[in-house]
Amino acid sequence: MSKSRMTTTTATVAIASAAAVMAGVAGCGSDGGSSASDSSADTSGDSGEIVITCATCQESPTDPFLQYNYEAAQRFNEEFAGTYRVETIENANAGSSDDRLQYYQRLALADDLPDLFQLNSGEIKALQETGRLHDFASTLENDDEWAATFHDQAFDALMGAGGEIWAIPQQRDAIGIYYNTELLENAGFAEFPATWDEFEDLAAELRSQDKVAIAMDGDWATMLMWVNLIGTQPGGAEFLREGIVGSDNWGDDPTVVQATERLRDWHVEGYVNADAFSGEFQNAAAPYLTEEAAMVANGPWFVNTNLKTDSAAPGLYEKTGYAAAPGWSEGDRGAVVVSGAGWVSGTTDEQKLEAVETFVKFVSSEDEVLRQATATGANPPVQVDAAAAEEADLEPLATGLIEEAAESTYRYPHVRVHGPAGFGAAWKNLWPAYVKGEMATDEFLQRLTDDAMSDQTG
Amino acid sequence: MRGPVMVSLLPGITLFGIFFLVPFFVLVATAFARWGGLDFAWVGLDNYQRMFDDPVFFKAFGNTLFYAAASMFIQVPLGVAVGMVLALRPRGWRALRTIIFVPFVISGAAYAVIFSMFYNPRSGLLNNVLGALGLSGDRDWLFDTATARWAVAGTFVFIIGFVVVLVMAEIASIPNEIYEAASVDGATTWQQLTRITLPLLRNVIGTAILVRLLVDIGMFDLVFILTAGGPDDATATLALYAYRAYLNGEWGYANAVGSVILAVGLVLIVTVRRAFRIGERAL
Repeated sequence: MSKSRMTTTTATVAIASAAAVMAGVAGCGSDGGSSASDSSADTSGDSGEIVITCATCQESPTDPFLQYNYEAAQRFNEEFAGTYRVETIENANAGSSDDRLQYYQRLALADDLPDLFQLNSGEIKALQETGRLHDFASTLENDDEWAATFHDQAFDALMGAGGEIWAIPQQRDAIGIYYNTELLENAGFAEFPATWDEFEDLAAELRSQDKVAIAMDGDWATMLMWVNLIGTQPGGAEFLREGIVGSDNWGDDPTVVQATERLRDWHVEGYVNADAFSGEFQNAAAPYLTEEAAMVANGPWFVNTNLKTDSAAPGLYEKTGYAAAPGWSEGDRGAVVVSGAGWVSGTTDEQKLEAVETFVKFVSSEDEVLRQATATGANPPVQVDAAAAEEADLEPLATGLIEEAAESTYRYPHVRVHGPAGFGAAWKNLWPAYVKGEMATDEFLQRLTDDAMSDQTG
Repeated sequence: MRGPVMVSLLPGITLFGIFFLVPFFVLVATAFARWGGLDFAWVGLDNYQRMFDDPVFFKAFGNTLFYAAASMFIQVPLGVAVGMVLALRPRGWRALRTIIFVPFVISGAAYAVIFSMFYNPRSGLLNNVLGALGLSGDRDWLFDTATARWAVAGTFVFIIGFVVVLVMAEIASIPNEIYEAASVDGATTWQQLTRITLPLLRNVIGTAILVRLLVDIGMFDLVFILTAGGPDDATATLALYAYRAYLNGEWGYANAVGSVILAVGLVLIVTVRRAFRIGERAL
């Protein structure tokens, strides 16, 4: 090859390569699909329709809440066609996960939060620090009629210290303990135990029959029982509401110490499934669904996502009961009551806020909350007409527990929803070692407090 | 001539700058800052001070070295031994090579899920087999601090396909005349393997160790899915420790941990390259 030809070839390759890089860089810049604000940039098109983005309105074959949101958004779009439209953002972090908060924090930093999305109260506490969340307080103040439809305390877990209302609740549920009536009867219990002592008698009997008394997972389901053991003692509910975010050592509270040791002892005595530490709820669900375990704690959504699926033993739904937690003494039962996720908004645009407010009013209307309750098993955050509720054929297990919880001595929040953001990771890390006897109760609770309150690194 | 060459290098330099140099300098610089997205302040060596005061960091560091040692002293030697045997082309060697290589192409996440079922204390295969053999079949392998690290290491030390293929390729390149001469001199197969083949594999063994060590010091997915670092941080790695800090909004601290991972990687590269004289001709 001659020198001049080689030079020409090299120059051609160089120019082509440079062009390819420029095209690549330009290509990177033109990908607006993942940007919340890009897709919502056209606030109104020629038609004058106001478009808002929703990051939790995508179709989902596995998550009934997301699926309901998707269908509700479609109905909203039909009803308000030409005026408002919800545009769905496909979001891998739409469902509850450890990464969800980080995802929205990154969007907040980029001033690119979606117009509509959902967070739980712990995440709201963290994200409101970015100053990017819309405060719904004035919306509720300006619409007394709408505000009055919500249950008392429906906003408690969704409010800021200054009275801000960062989210409109999607549900208000009591969380209890599912039990297999047949297995309990075989163990000599015609009714669900009223006290923790009776509960342990039942567990011992089930153990002697080679049954797991109560299935746990080292995470959600285990924490529910921890919370139940704390919340059903005098002062326990106060700890779960306030002490858990204010105290610098939970081991100073005797209710927490007693609850923690009692829960540990259930594992030691063999009342709990051996694989109760992975943090996977499936490890708790599977023994119950196969009738290996007699009880499991979870919310009303367990019915649609587990009990009524093919994973459950035939006829299990029919023989399942749902009860509030036993008490430390007769008559002192209790239940976890949660608002769950709430609708939040990251927009500051007046027109979009108008659309957002219209949407949250739409999904909290009686028709929609009943539709949601039917689809997800979760109960409405607003009061609904008794006749309408009956006609909607809501899940009887869930509605029964709501009534039972209302009559219980104690009602308290779940630590995963109301506690410090680092609680889940700290618990999953320390709980197995504590149960296996590698640290004493005071050391466990001190470290749990420190890790949950300060950071997750240690 | 020089101009066009420079221009032709430009795409590579640009991509290297954007995807390596910029993140590298951001990581190193912000390791000296308190940075959580919402705030930024230079804090000097505070992040490193905190890191070296934190026992969990040392646990994570120790675990990372443990996994690296498991690769170096179990996985690589095993892979070399199997590769040397298969290079002798025993009956069915092709099928065996394929079977051994398959786990290498399975994703770490999928592997972790499979092994979490394998180790499950209630329904896992391991406990069921041990129970059937009359041994204690109720151990919680992944969530008992005594066994957790070993259980995690057990998921990857037997993935030897990469080392086996490297070794077999290297052996194939050794001139046959050397073996013929050794044979004429009366060397047995064992002597040929240990005195000719093994020394000539020095380069490739060094490379395999280097690659494995670099994978292990950044190990994340297996541990994250299997145990999330627990119980009591018994399986946590440096990468997982950094990830927790990142999740907690402590990006500067996470980057300080990341810079330690980088430094460890650098030391390992230099040490292994020198120890195995990687790059020098064996013949």
